[in-house]
Amino acid sequence: MLLEELLQNLNGIRTDALAALQSAKTDAEIEDVKNRTLGRSGAVTALREVMAKIPPESKREAGMAFNETKNAIQNALNEARERNASATEAAEAIDVTLPGRRPAAGRLHPLTKTIQECCAIFRRMGFVAVTGPELEDVWHNFDALNAPLNHPSRDPQDTFYMPDGRLLRTQTSAVQIRTMTGMKPPVRIISPGRCYRRDTPDATHGVHFHQIEGLYVDTSVSLADLKSTLMTFAGEYFGREVAVRMRPSFFPFTEPSVECDFSCVMCGGKGCGVCKNSGWLEIAGAGMVNPKVLENVGYDPREVCGFAFGFGLERLAMLKHRIGDLRLFSDNDIRFLHQF
Amino acid sequence: MKISFKWLKRYLDLPLTPDELAAKLTMAGLEVEAVERSGSVPEGVVTAKILSREKHANSDHLSVCKVDKGDEVLQIVCGAPNCDAGNVVPLATIGTVFPDGDGTFTIKKGKLRGVESFGMMCSARELGLGNDHDGLMILPPETKLGIPMNDLLDPDVVYDCSVTPNRPDWLSHFGVARDLAALLDSEIRENPLALPEAMDNVPEDPALVSVEAPDLCPLYAARVVQGIRVGESPDWMKQALLSAGIRPISNLVDITNYVMMETGVPLHAFDIRNLKGGKIVVRRARPGESIVALDGKKYDLTQDNLCICDEEKPVAIAGVMGGEYSGIQNDTETVVLESAFFDPDSIRLTSRKLGLATDASYRYERGVDREAVLAAGRRALSLILELAGGNYTVRCVAEAPKPEPRKITADFNRIRALLGMDVDDARIVRILGKLGFRKETAENVFTVPSWRIYDAMGEADLAEEVARIYGLDKLPDVHIRAMTADYGLDAFKVLEGLRADLTKCGLDEIVCGSLIDEKSATADGIFEPGDLLRLNNPISLELAIPRPSLLPGMLATVKRNAARRCCDLAFFELGHVFCANPAKFPEERDELVIAMTGRRHPERFSAESREVLDFYDLKGVLETLMDLRRVKSFSFESAEDPRFVKGVCAVLKIAGRQAGVFGKFVPALTRGFKLQTPVFGAVIQLENLLSAPERSILYQPVSQFPVTARDVAFLAPRDLENKAVLDFIRNAHVPNLESVELFDVFEDESLGAGKKSMAYSLVFRAADRTLTDEEVNQAHERLRGKLEKGLGVELR
Repeated sequence: MLLEELLQNLNGIRTDALAALQSAKTDAEIEDVKNRTLGRSGAVTALREVMAKIPPESKREAGMAFNETKNAIQNALNEARERNASATEAAEAIDVTLPGRRPAAGRLHPLTKTIQECCAIFRRMGFVAVTGPELEDVWHNFDALNAPLNHPSRDPQDTFYMPDGRLLRTQTSAVQIRTMTGMKPPVRIISPGRCYRRDTPDATHGVHFHQIEGLYVDTSVSLADLKSTLMTFAGEYFGREVAVRMRPSFFPFTEPSVECDFSCVMCGGKGCGVCKNSGWLEIAGAGMVNPKVLENVGYDPREVCGFAFGFGLERLAMLKHRIGDLRLFSDNDIRFLHQF
Repeated sequence: MKISFKWLKRYLDLPLTPDELAAKLTMAGLEVEAVERSGSVPEGVVTAKILSREKHANSDHLSVCKVDKGDEVLQIVCGAPNCDAGNVVPLATIGTVFPDGDGTFTIKKGKLRGVESFGMMCSARELGLGNDHDGLMILPPETKLGIPMNDLLDPDVVYDCSVTPNRPDWLSHFGVARDLAALLDSEIRENPLALPEAMDNVPEDPALVSVEAPDLCPLYAARVVQGIRVGESPDWMKQALLSAGIRPISNLVDITNYVMMETGVPLHAFDIRNLKGGKIVVRRARPGESIVALDGKKYDLTQDNLCICDEEKPVAIAGVMGGEYSGIQNDTETVVLESAFFDPDSIRLTSRKLGLATDASYRYERGVDREAVLAAGRRALSLILELAGGNYTVRCVAEAPKPEPRKITADFNRIRALLGMDVDDARIVRILGKLGFRKETAENVFTVPSWRIYDAMGEADLAEEVARIYGLDKLPDVHIRAMTADYGLDAFKVLEGLRADLTKCGLDEIVCGSLIDEKSATADGIFEPGDLLRLNNPISLELAIPRPSLLPGMLATVKRNAARRCCDLAFFELGHVFCANPAKFPEERDELVIAMTGRRHPERFSAESREVLDFYDLKGVLETLMDLRRVKSFSFESAEDPRFVKGVCAVLKIAGRQAGVFGKFVPALTRGFKLQTPVFGAVIQLENLLSAPERSILYQPVSQFPVTARDVAFLAPRDLENKAVLDFIRNAHVPNLESVELFDVFEDESLGAGKKSMAYSLVFRAADRTLTDEEVNQAHERLRGKLEKGLGVELR
């Protein structure tokens, strides 16, 4: 009698549970079925007590039926869970092509990038980047640099003057004078920064521009050292083999003076519109520091000598990024800035 | 300076093509900026004779010709009206390359309306030999066939050279030739400055010239030639002048110009009829004097201006330009030829002051070779006698004592070391000798030639000459010597670090101009007109003031971007600013300016994309910046500032010192901006930021014990600042309180007017044990009580 009742109960629980699992749509429904049947106070679990009362001769049959029911419900549960999981997954699917949430990241101005790239290259060669005032006196900007009194660059036509006779520096060599005045050789510095020239602004001129000047003064420094330094720089900055050509030139600050051309970074020297078919780009003015300049900062030109060079950063950036108009740099259009 | 290839060849052999010579000159320091060819045609154009002409079957205007080019008869289709049989014409054979605008165009075998054509017969214009385009260029019938057209022509190449200011000796053809002789290691064949002095053997008339300002005119020579005939110059001279860019006028004027272009010494010729008293006085102009120069303009002269005068008045501005009425006329018979040396500075000053620059003043101010002055006069004299006839009758040379020639002692080892080039002693001596630096004794002492005294001062200059002639292309590649750098000096590195931190905060860098106008400079209510530095010689009023702040440039940049519909902006700029009022700021300092406006996440979608930046975004940037820079102690306090809206403005204090101010810009500063969103900004004094004491990084042990969290929420008066609450809690010294964070603040009508709700989460943790609930509850309760009493808030 007891056995029959048990078997019937088990059967009933199983049928109900399987039907419920069949139609269960959510995790909660499935777990509910589990709780009602196999859970701690579930119907199947409750039948354990009945099992204890089953006479020994029927125990085997009862045990088998009990386990069978339990397994059937467990299997159905697993099935239902799996079925439901894949359904949930499908509902979880998202459009992975929607834009990601970018952490805010600002960008440096292309001129700053250029300055920093140059500084990094020269630092690897042992140079230190120094800065100085933009409002300069005539001594540091012209006199100490051996610019003759009648030099056209001194003309108010070309240089911005203040009422007291000081000026907005026309090159960053003034910083070199300040640095040399304050220290003993060896000196190996670069001075990046803003300079001013009284030009009417257009596509290739502005009232301000940026340059880097380099200076190396020591007991034996040669023109050959200068060439190698600039060659190393050119190759690293443009990321390709760049030939450097030197031509005699004239700057009051240096003697001998040279004009440094880089083989055209556009055409590799074959000739193109950018290099006006010459294969060369005029990049830097350079030379061996004029002995008078060394004297002006209290060095003895019989004991030390040095090289100096300078070039425009706008031009370098324009060449590297093929920017055609200087004014873009100070226009600061965000669509321009975001390209760098 | 225009230099003609043909002209140069008069003085020395040039075993180079014009292109090779251009490269040679450039590499020697005389930069050839442009090469113009005249009188030459492309390679491949040859002479040819038209044998027959037939009408083209499919065209009204084309003809089909058989043309003999010496070694071959070709069929050519031609559209010219005069392609008649028997004519000898230039023929561009297949492969000839013509210039075409910026590019080129090549003659190819082609078909014209079905008939094959093997070249092109040319007009004068097509060959660049003139303007005639009515028909083919017809050559003399006896012309040999099949020879290059260039053999019939006399082509020239003119170099447009840029002469550096240290080389006035390059401002003449002979000067360039002299340098080339050293460069090519060849000899000067003909020296126009070496005519025999004997030809100058005429009576000296000291009364002819009186120099009253020998300081400005140390040498003046006047030579009188009578009975000349003014007329046209011969073709060779006209062509030479044209190649140098000078218009031929008459033989006398042309000769003076020619000799200037040849030797670099400017000359002048006066008609003696126009010299009152028949004599020349070289003196400073007197007050009130003026002159009408050859350009027809009247110039008022001052004592600074040296003049060539007759007995009464100036007849020329010395070294610059002659007077309108004193020069050569068509009927001039007696000429006074001037060759002189003037002080370069005096000529420069006069030229600058009068705004009058000429070929002569250009040469004088850069420095004429004083030693060449008499010889150049002789050269002109001989050309006058040859081309205009006449008799050389009398002369006068007034000369002040000459300066001693400069001598330079050279240490060849030092020259080699300076250049890093291995040039032997003999080579150095030879190079310098070729350039005119004479070595007269066994010591290495060199006498500087008269034409190089403006440049060659010392050993370094000799080194330059050696490098130039030996060839800079022979510089060896060397290894860069390693050197330990003192990066403590590297002020730029600090700024690089700051810039990197600013970009990490999501700001884009801008770089604005330093010169602005007064209105923008004073718009911010901080700077008065008296605080501004001013340029003495601005280019315009818009660019007259060195910026007192980066703010005007920043605001202009925001405005400009907004006008272009770029409205989500977060910018910073870092740069020098200037102030004339030491009570306000140092004269020159570094400033950092930030501006932010628009959406917080413009690239995101849905609700996030509509979030608009507010004050706390800017403040967060500053907080992150302080954190990245490890600023040890900083705080924010509400403040008032004319640039920012009252109540939405705060100062950033670093170590108790004000480092910057920020907030929402007042409407006056953003008026006219095409923006829907408010603009926030910060102005920071870099000095105070960079000098901030740095928080050192010392490891703090991390507690292994769990946290216990509690909240506290209360109603507070609207004006109770978060900072006041935090400071209060900090000062309450609550045991084991690890952190306090505001997690909610809101205002609502239901809370009552002037009230707001604030809620803080408190985290308790001990370093050495797990806290009991009891301990925490006790601390929490005690804090609640203190808040209620101390801050007068209503606990919720």
